[in-house]
Amino acid sequence: METQTKALTNRPLPDGTEERLRSRLEDGERLLFTVVCDLSPTGGYSDSVLAVTDRHVLYTEEDGSFTALPYTDIAEAAVKRMYGNARLTMRKKDGGTVRAVRFTYAVASLCDMAAAFINNVAGGETPDSELPAAEAAFDRMKLVCPKCGRRLIREGAECIRCQSKGKIVSKLWKYVAPEKKPLIISLIMSVITTAMALLPPFITKMLVDEIIPNSDKKMLVTVVAFLFGAYFIQHAVGALRGYILRIAGDRIVLHLRNDVYLKAQYLPMKFYDKTSTGSVINRISGDTATLQAFILRITQEVIVQFFMLVGIIIIMFALEWRLTLLSLLPVPAVVIGVKIFGRKIAPFYKRIWRRWAAVTSVLTDSIPCIRVIKSFAGEKRAVKRFEKYNEEWLKVDVRSARITSVYPYIVGFVVTCGSLLIWSVGGGWVIDEPGGPLSLGLLVSFISYASMFYQPVNFFAYLSDSYQSALAAAERILDILDAEPEQSPEDGEKPDVIRGRIEFRNVSFSFDRTKKVLSDVSVTIEPGDIVGIVGTTGSGKSTLINLLMKFYDGYEGEILVDGIDLRKLDTGYFRSKIGYVQQEPMMFSDTIYNNIAYGVPGAHIEQVINAADVANAHEFIARQPDAYDSMLGERGVGLSGGEKQRISIARAVLMNPSILIFDEATAAVDSETENLIQEAIERLISGRTTLMIAHRLSTLRKANKIIVVDQGRIIECGSHDELMALGGKYHRLIEIQSMSEKLRRSKEEERFE
Amino acid sequence: MARTYIEGDEARIERTDFCKVTLTYYDGRVFEDLEPRRLFPLSGLHKYITLLDPEGREAAIIRSLDTLMPESRQAVEACLEEFYLIPRITGIYDITDKKGSLSWHVQTDRGERRFSIRNRHSDIKVLYDGRVLIRDSDDNRYEIPSLDRLDKKSRSKLKSEI
Repeated sequence: METQTKALTNRPLPDGTEERLRSRLEDGERLLFTVVCDLSPTGGYSDSVLAVTDRHVLYTEEDGSFTALPYTDIAEAAVKRMYGNARLTMRKKDGGTVRAVRFTYAVASLCDMAAAFINNVAGGETPDSELPAAEAAFDRMKLVCPKCGRRLIREGAECIRCQSKGKIVSKLWKYVAPEKKPLIISLIMSVITTAMALLPPFITKMLVDEIIPNSDKKMLVTVVAFLFGAYFIQHAVGALRGYILRIAGDRIVLHLRNDVYLKAQYLPMKFYDKTSTGSVINRISGDTATLQAFILRITQEVIVQFFMLVGIIIIMFALEWRLTLLSLLPVPAVVIGVKIFGRKIAPFYKRIWRRWAAVTSVLTDSIPCIRVIKSFAGEKRAVKRFEKYNEEWLKVDVRSARITSVYPYIVGFVVTCGSLLIWSVGGGWVIDEPGGPLSLGLLVSFISYASMFYQPVNFFAYLSDSYQSALAAAERILDILDAEPEQSPEDGEKPDVIRGRIEFRNVSFSFDRTKKVLSDVSVTIEPGDIVGIVGTTGSGKSTLINLLMKFYDGYEGEILVDGIDLRKLDTGYFRSKIGYVQQEPMMFSDTIYNNIAYGVPGAHIEQVINAADVANAHEFIARQPDAYDSMLGERGVGLSGGEKQRISIARAVLMNPSILIFDEATAAVDSETENLIQEAIERLISGRTTLMIAHRLSTLRKANKIIVVDQGRIIECGSHDELMALGGKYHRLIEIQSMSEKLRRSKEEERFE
Repeated sequence: MARTYIEGDEARIERTDFCKVTLTYYDGRVFEDLEPRRLFPLSGLHKYITLLDPEGREAAIIRSLDTLMPESRQAVEACLEEFYLIPRITGIYDITDKKGSLSWHVQTDRGERRFSIRNRHSDIKVLYDGRVLIRDSDDNRYEIPSLDRLDKKSRSKLKSEI
């Protein structure tokens, strides 16, 4: 008998299930893998098990017992995806259908694999030949953080959520380190100013107790001169320190902002699909400043204030220890108050920020859509919506203001009462024991120190406050800084030439796990092919292109370019070899020249003109008063859709790409412009692999290969003539279009008659 | 093409499979193998239920479940109950924030559950009537039927996150 190897599973089987399962196996039957599912047949959370052996598929019934189904009885296994849950069903050869296990989407991908496995084995494959695919699926499941269960992007990646607070500090240290020198200098300076600030009360004591009672004018002048020097040093050094510190702080925030922006450029499209642009902009503009203020606080003020606190306590104890103990009395009250305050205010900072992000996202949402708003007379509604979000922000802010404003006065009150205590007790001692250890001068200088003492105490009280908001800011910034980029800017293969052979091998993809956008797509495109991709909207055409452009990863299967796995190709290099013309061309607010030269910043002027010429754009550019120097407004205001489109084609021409992609480039222009664009496209595509998504099938007259996509699958693939002969979907589409074309023409003719 | 709406008692609906129904008009037309789906799964649980055939073509729309005959209504409701799994969160044990992602530990009407959500901006939606809709990182859905009816402890845990 074969040795039983440990079967694959997504998590340990529930207690007792393993034994029950083993007892059901026949002699020599091998358990290959188990999937522990998380729903009962009635939809409650409980464990159920699907087990796959080399002879049977077993699944638990409601009572926990296993039912075994031999492969020979199974006609087809399928995962029925529902809403928030799914089922594995198996159709039996005798006609019945069994509903095996029910599960949430947490294990749906494993069950997908299991269904494919069962189908293949039932269809005649050997279990062992199918096992590698199963192993791969289990491996993918393992790409989760062991601590929090969050999915990791690649093996061994660090989970960004599970890093300790200490790591946040060490990450921010990167930005502080270059400014070490000015920070240390300013620290030394602040020690000097603090020492100078501690001096005057001590001199007050001398004045009150010795110099004035003794009418020592000479000494008075000396002391005043000395005080003058102390004040001068304190303020002069203070000013210089402020200057140094500000510059250091500005540099820190500059680097931080640069880094966040840099990272934002390399974040995958998926991040932008899920995060509002308003929130990203907020993080770059607002949060970095909050963080900078905090970094300065923690590296400077904390040390200075601590130094001051210790200094004052030592001086106070040296002056009069009983009064010192007395003045320390309110400290516990203040500290406890701070703790309560911190707990109360922390959620407010999060809430305020979130409300504010909502306000900005209304802005970034509505201002670019102003044309739609105006044309549908939606101004009032837009204002209402903005006011509503603004109002919500105000509500939260008012509530937090209540706490933040009342709290300091409570602390201030307690502290002031503390000084009353010193006055009454200390004053009593001075009156009761004239000439005793506590002189009037000592009391006065003590009171000064005591009031200074509460400055650092207050500071530390508020530290938790600014710490909270800074921590929230730090989290949001690190959320971007630590997010997995599409690929680090420089790695991956850079083959010398990309010839443009593209191969999709069993590619499946879904944005979320509910609906597959592409399923099992396989197609080969040879260098120089002109490929038309047709299909109804939502069929997955654009997703094919998005995957090829490496905008999304996480697809199953393989995409090969010149035989190299797309994942291994350098993202930046590969994209620079693709000319991509979108349906809606986006223009930067820059000159026409710079817009064309965007992909090749160092291009020669004549190259740019030539590119414009190829794109049929030169003539209309020349007609502009500022010609190539014309500034385009946001979204290219001032040019028509067709003109913008031709500029974006010129952009692609200049890149001299190996692969050209047109994503419905002519969908939004009139027929005359379409002809101009079509001409430009035909000039451009000679000898390059070209993919064209098109609705108007007439644009595909040059294509030597047509791919028909429907519901995420390639249903037809071949030349125009082949597909017409096939009489399938393409044939139907052509018929519909030529019919409507004929109809239009005949109507036009009628009108002319 | 005009949509066909079913109102009141012009047809009988019978459940044939765990989420399939047969629609029989009293004028004799029969549609088999239809799958009831909600057109507004988030905002309207009992209104506008579409009936789709295996190809995804719509046979009819039920305007409101309330207008159906009791048996038909039960049949459709049973199918919807099967298809839509939206556990109701009845209590929150814990919500922890780890770098912008939230781990939840909750009690639902279907048992205890732990899950995490990625983006609170898009994955937690609070509706005007106090309902809270939640989507976890695996795309499973959860619902808090009413914020106000949650116990105080759960509510305060939730309040700082929404």
